[in-house]
Amino acid sequence: LGNEFSFSFFFCKLLARLEGRSSLKEIEPNLFADEDSSVHGDIIEFHGPEGTGKTEMFYHVTARCVLPKSEGGLEVEVLFIDTDYHFDLLRLVTILERRLSRGSEEAVRQCLARLFVVSCGTSSQLLLTLCSLETTVCSRPALCLLILDSLSAFYWTDRASGGESVSSQESTLRTCSRFLERLAVEYRLVVLAATQSLMQTAWQGPAGGPGEPEAHYRPYLCREWQRLVKLRMFFSKQDDLKTDTQFSLVSRHLKSNSLKKHVFVIGESGIEFR
Amino acid sequence: MGVLRAGLCPGLTQDTVQLLRSRGIKTVVDLVSADLEEVAQKCGLSYKALVALRRVLLAQFSAFPFNGADLYEELKTSTSILSTGIGSLDKLLDAGLYTGEVTEIVCLCVSANVAYSLQQNVVYIDSNGGLTASRLLQLLQARTPDEEEQAGALQRIQVVRAFDIFQMLDVLQDLRGAVSQQVSSASTVKVVVVDSVTAVVSPLLGGQQREGLALMMQLARELKTLARDVGVAVVVTNHMTRDRDSGKLKPALGRSWSFVPSTRILLDIEEGTGTSGGRRRAYLTKSPRLPTGFQEMVDIGTWGTPEQSPASQGDQM
Repeated sequence: LGNEFSFSFFFCKLLARLEGRSSLKEIEPNLFADEDSSVHGDIIEFHGPEGTGKTEMFYHVTARCVLPKSEGGLEVEVLFIDTDYHFDLLRLVTILERRLSRGSEEAVRQCLARLFVVSCGTSSQLLLTLCSLETTVCSRPALCLLILDSLSAFYWTDRASGGESVSSQESTLRTCSRFLERLAVEYRLVVLAATQSLMQTAWQGPAGGPGEPEAHYRPYLCREWQRLVKLRMFFSKQDDLKTDTQFSLVSRHLKSNSLKKHVFVIGESGIEFR
Repeated sequence: MGVLRAGLCPGLTQDTVQLLRSRGIKTVVDLVSADLEEVAQKCGLSYKALVALRRVLLAQFSAFPFNGADLYEELKTSTSILSTGIGSLDKLLDAGLYTGEVTEIVCLCVSANVAYSLQQNVVYIDSNGGLTASRLLQLLQARTPDEEEQAGALQRIQVVRAFDIFQMLDVLQDLRGAVSQQVSSASTVKVVVVDSVTAVVSPLLGGQQREGLALMMQLARELKTLARDVGVAVVVTNHMTRDRDSGKLKPALGRSWSFVPSTRILLDIEEGTGTSGGRRRAYLTKSPRLPTGFQEMVDIGTWGTPEQSPASQGDQM
């Protein structure tokens, strides 16, 4: 080191650790009640088939973060990376309107001003964006949460165009994982990333006890990513056309191997835990 | 994207490019991922210059974060909701087709989906060969007896044929190009129907070919960016297949495709009536706004709910 550019970065990181960004527990106590706030940020993976509530959970957590303190929120900033043009701002607005005691346009606008949305079209662009985010994160100390929906969007494209070996096909994602790790560890961000269940599993039955959906999980993303994940949450849906659809998620803590099940429904105002 | 070459950004000279290339750094991604101190030493370039170069490249090539409040202002003015003309279907879609999204209709007889949005300009991409002008006219005649209105509606539908995925990708790119150059017939398009996506994608799937899945995802991306950037509602039709193990009916094209549309409606044949009645039960199986599991009866033969219009024998192809 020795030039003024990296010195200001060093100073930023120091500030980030001293001031402290919001911890997992504050962001969603229902899900993360037992997590002690660690010195480093946390990386959490949401995994599941389509229609199981992963994106809704992102909206729920985003709402909790951007709502003002007077309405039960944290008044912190969120960065949402959308990799498959999936992000539905109007849905988020509906959730905010329902949760605000006075759902006025101005109140909603103030919440939305704490949200930043980036769309990436290729894995290379995701890589460059993650790298350039360091500057953004540095200049916005209120930014606590990074959402990536989803990390697996480029999986098939990368596999086809990345060359002959699996290792070269995974190289961009490996570098992305490295940048994500840096953002989490050095800037104490909470990183939530979704991965889709793209692979066929051998077992096809309905979701049974707490162990079932996650026991058949087949990791397919690169090892770098697998190593970074602290908590993996498996989303599933009770496929019942008659009653109110119930969603459940099983969270597995990867170091302690403990499993916990949570059940929720999705209403107009977003996710409600049962 | 992003092979390093002289002039790609300010400060990138031919000499620098050569030096970097000699150490295996050929693309923007390579430079950004590398350890710049190591590169500076190995290439004999100044560390400070490399850091500045990286900063410029990142500013040029990474995606820009938009503020939520600004995005909301833009969306409020650019999003429209288009009624399909079938009341019960509109209910399932939460008032109609939303521009900026991809909606999927799954049904056993695919051609019925021509019945949407004829109040707006429609581009109909036909990959089945199933659409004929006479069938369209028949549906329009059931809707209105006025010949001028029928002719007007027919004029608003532009039919393009694409029988393999490369043709389809070309068609989508041509459409984007036409809209961006403000060709008059293209710039007011509000709905793009792709009938069907299965016809061009299923020949690519199966076996160990990764290229097939990558092409399918490329098509998915084209459709989504078309919906978002151009501000149209994209409607795709998909076929039904039987699940290998459970025997249940499910949409074709597998898991990876299932993430692509924002909304999915399944049209099922009402038991006992066969295909002649034109009545279908529609299930909402995926939605970003409404709870799934809603059902409505839809009469696609005559374009209305069964009670409203007289039953007619819509022939299904």
